[in-house]
Amino acid sequence: MRCGMCGHELTEAGIEKACRGCSAFGGCRLVKCLHCGYEQPQLPRWLKWLVEMAKRQQERKV
Amino acid sequence: MSALHATLTYPAEIEEAIRQISEFLRGDYPLGKHTLALLLLQEDDEIWQMVRQQETSATLEQIRSVLNTVKTQMDSPIGWAIEHQRQQVGQQISQQVLQAQFGERAHSVAEWLGWLCMNPWTGFPILALVLYFGLYQFVGVFGAGTVVGWIEEDLFGGWINPAVESFVRGLVPWKAIQELLVGEYGVWTLGVTYAVALILPIVTFFFLVFAVLEDSGYLPRLAMLIDRAFKGLGLNGRAVIPIVLGFGCDTMATMVTRVLETRRERVLATFLLTLTIPCSAQLGVVLALLARYPTGLLIWMGVLVGVFLTAGWIAARVIPGNPMPFYMELPPIRLPSLSNVLLKTMARLHWYFLEVFPLFLLASVLIWVGQLTGLFDWALRAIAPITGLLGLPDSAGVAFLFGFFRRDYGAAGLYDLQQAGLLTGNQVLIVAVVLTLFVPCVAQFLVTLKERGWKAALAMFVISLGVAIWVGWMLKLALSALGVVL
Repeated sequence: MRCGMCGHELTEAGIEKACRGCSAFGGCRLVKCLHCGYEQPQLPRWLKWLVEMAKRQQERKV
Repeated sequence: MSALHATLTYPAEIEEAIRQISEFLRGDYPLGKHTLALLLLQEDDEIWQMVRQQETSATLEQIRSVLNTVKTQMDSPIGWAIEHQRQQVGQQISQQVLQAQFGERAHSVAEWLGWLCMNPWTGFPILALVLYFGLYQFVGVFGAGTVVGWIEEDLFGGWINPAVESFVRGLVPWKAIQELLVGEYGVWTLGVTYAVALILPIVTFFFLVFAVLEDSGYLPRLAMLIDRAFKGLGLNGRAVIPIVLGFGCDTMATMVTRVLETRRERVLATFLLTLTIPCSAQLGVVLALLARYPTGLLIWMGVLVGVFLTAGWIAARVIPGNPMPFYMELPPIRLPSLSNVLLKTMARLHWYFLEVFPLFLLASVLIWVGQLTGLFDWALRAIAPITGLLGLPDSAGVAFLFGFFRRDYGAAGLYDLQQAGLLTGNQVLIVAVVLTLFVPCVAQFLVTLKERGWKAALAMFVISLGVAIWVGWMLKLALSALGVVL
């Protein structure tokens, strides 16, 4: 996932670290970029699953 | 070739603190003591953790004391002062080693486009085009007008709601429960219909535009473009992050004001968000309603921009302090990828729907309770003098009551009033202006309370209410005096 403001790649570790300093404790379903502070919604599980399926489908074709 | 002249020296207070902290450190570290001291002063979590493991509590106390002393000595945050000094030296070096001509800046079409977005002469017209086509035509006219017309009026109004209503009335014999579910302000007829048939299509179109802007790399260039304008408001380009996010949801944007460097900037940005920035659904509904009165739309925009600039200018002078310089690494301008845009839009919709849906249902239940107890009618009567002052019918009070709960809910109420033919063009304009400037919704108020404290939150609430009513009243008088009829 890439930050919509500064374009930096958001890693799982970075997302976790950014959430640690927040009073919402990650309960807001948003991810924060450690680099610029921009927040955007994280991909819900069902969407992650769809993305994985699409990737696998593409790999099979290749 | 002459020798390079650039020395990195931090302000005297920081240099002295670095010297003291370096002397306190006794542990064995993979980094030099100077670097460690610098990172401790910037309150780097990992470095503090490392130092905590190796130093005694007395030493840690000494370091903290030095840190606190520097904080009180400095006018600006320590992290910012360090970055600023590095930037200055970076500029000195680049001036000595680079020879860039104006024409050589843009090497590719993308770089050239990026530069055009940031240059004031071309950047503001580009911004106007983005707002006109992206927001007005796509979100307002097509999304909130045409598509909502199909879904809300034809599909829900013509088919789904009558079927659900007759099913519920046939199944449930109790009148009060019928009212709760399918009455005028029922859970289905108001809560579900507003959330699914009205707000969801509007925010879908808004989030699509937003995702395209994000993925193209336009947003950081917008920040650079309006940095200078924001300086007059006591802010800098970084405030574009919460302000832009406010057009999605003001509650989320209020949380994001934390990215601003100083408390003064955070208070100013929160105030402007509370007062002048409409959320996505509110913006979509207002654009749809005013789309049939282009002059009204221009007046609405003019009033909002005027209030934004005036309120920001006054607030920046009332709250003491200086604006911080702003710099930002720019990602390349790129063609948005369809999959990225769709994924971001879906993620936002998922997030928004989970936020909105339960609250809309809860609002319907509260209104039902209010109707049963007579509180709702009492509140409408209490608002009647204000609606009268603004030249609006008493029924417009419903939109204000809804607006107290959620901004988008208030906008949806306004949409219904317009569809029912209860408002003239001038009244639509006045109520649109007042609702946009109106008090923050419950969620935004609570976040402001948590982030800025009760004094600031209460002050912003009262100021928003006062400014909204006063500006609406002035607008009514101005429209009458100038003989403007929409």
